Amino acid sequence: MMLERIRLAAAREALAERGQPDGLIAAVTFVATLILVESLAVGPLAATQPEVASALFWIAMVFAAILATTRSFERELEDDAIDAVLALPGGRDALYAGKTLALTALIALIALVGGALSLLLLSLEVLLPAHLALVLVAGILALAPVVVLFVVIALRLRSRAALVPILALPVLVPQLVAATNGTAAAISGDAAAALGWAGLLLAFALVYSVLGLTIVPAALE
Amino acid sequence: MISTTAKTTSALRARPFLGAASVVALFVALWMALVWSPPDAVMGNVVRILYVHVANAWLAYLAFVVVFLASIAYLWTKRPVFDAIAVASAEIGVLFCGLTLVLGAIWARPTWGVWWSWEPRVITTAVMFAMYVGYLLLRNLSNDLERRATRAAVLGIVLVVDVPIVHLSVTWMNALHQLPSVLRPGLDPTLDPSMLASLIAMTIAFTFLYAYLMTARVAIERRRQARILEARA
Repeated sequence: MMLERIRLAAAREALAERGQPDGLIAAVTFVATLILVESLAVGPLAATQPEVASALFWIAMVFAAILATTRSFERELEDDAIDAVLALPGGRDALYAGKTLALTALIALIALVGGALSLLLLSLEVLLPAHLALVLVAGILALAPVVVLFVVIALRLRSRAALVPILALPVLVPQLVAATNGTAAAISGDAAAALGWAGLLLAFALVYSVLGLTIVPAALE
Repeated sequence: MISTTAKTTSALRARPFLGAASVVALFVALWMALVWSPPDAVMGNVVRILYVHVANAWLAYLAFVVVFLASIAYLWTKRPVFDAIAVASAEIGVLFCGLTLVLGAIWARPTWGVWWSWEPRVITTAVMFAMYVGYLLLRNLSNDLERRATRAAVLGIVLVVDVPIVHLSVTWMNALHQLPSVLRPGLDPTLDPSMLASLIAMTIAFTFLYAYLMTARVAIERRRQARILEARA
C-alpha cells in the first residue's frame, strides 16, 4: 500500500516534470553555465586536474539539484496540488519518498549532461569508467534526500531561495568531499579509493533517507 | 492551537543561585587554570588558552545535544516550552561554538604558526557553527509560532549528526589537531593530574554558566511566546 503510494507520487512528479520541463531545462542550463564559468575562473589548465574538475562538477550539481527541487515544490504550491496530496492518508511519507525518487532520476539526467560536458570541455581521460559511474550514482543518491529534506523545511518561507543553500550546503559537506574525491580517484585510476568513497556516499544516502522518512512528515504542513 | 503562559518555575527560582555558582566556579577555575596548574613542557603558558577553549567546545556540544533533545520533545508533545529550550540552547551553542573557533585561532597562531588550518577538527567545527547559524536564521524567517517551532524542531534533529562527526574527526582523518585527551576510548586521560583538574573545574564552571544563561533565555522566550499568543487572541 505504502509502496504503491510512493510509486504514484513519483509517477505524478515525473508526469508533472514532463508536462512542464522548465525546472529540468533551467537546471541543465545552470549546470552547463556554472561548469563553463568555474573552469574559466580557475583557468582551463587548472580545471583539467581531476580533483579540480570533480569539485567544479559536484558544486554545480549541488546547486542544480537545489534549483530543480525548489522548482518542483514551487510548481506544487502554485496550483495548490500539495495540499491535496498531504490530505491523503500516508500522503506525507509518500510525498517525501516519491519526490526523492523522482528527483533522483531528474538529478541523474542533469548529471549525465553536466558530466558529458565536463569530459568534453576539459578533455578528461577517465581510467576507470565503471568506477566513475558507481561514484556518480552513489553521489546522486546521497544528494537527493538531503536537498528534498531542506526544501521541505523551508517550504512556504520567505527568502527560501537563499535559505535552502545556507541550510543544505554545510550538511552536504561530507557528500561534496566524498563525491569529489571519489570522482577524481575514478578519473585518475585509483580503484580502491573510488570504491571507498562510493561506500561512504551510500552510507550517507542511507542515513539521510531514513532521517528524512522519519521526520519529514512532521515538517510538511 | 497551543497555549502558554510565562509562569514562575523552579528553574526561574534557581536562577540567582545558578548565577552565584557560575561566578564562584569561574573564579576558582580561572585561578586553577592561570595560577595553580603548571605551564606545558612544549607549549609553555599558551596551554592556558586551552582550558577555556575546551570548556567552550564542551558547552557547544552540550547546547546542540540539548537542542536535539528539546526538538524531539517538541515534536512529541507540541509543548512550546520545549521550543523555548531549543532556541535558548541553540543561541548559547552558537555563541560558544564561535568562541571556540576564535580561541582556537588565538591558540593556533603561536603553536601552529597560522591563525587557521584546513584540518578536520577546525573545518567540522566551522561547519557546525554555520549549520546552527542557519538554524537561527530559519527561526527568524517565520512569524507563525507553531510552524516555526515544527520546522526548527525537524532541523534541530537533523543537525545533531554533526556533533559526533566534529568530536571523532581527529580520529577518522589525519589531523594537525591533537587527539582527544579526556573523552577517549577507555576513559584514560593523558593529561597531568593538575591540568586535568583545572580542565574539569573549568568545564564544571562553564556548565553552571550554561544552566544560568538557559534559565534566563528560556524565561525571555516564554514571555515572548505569551505575548504573541495574547496578541493573536
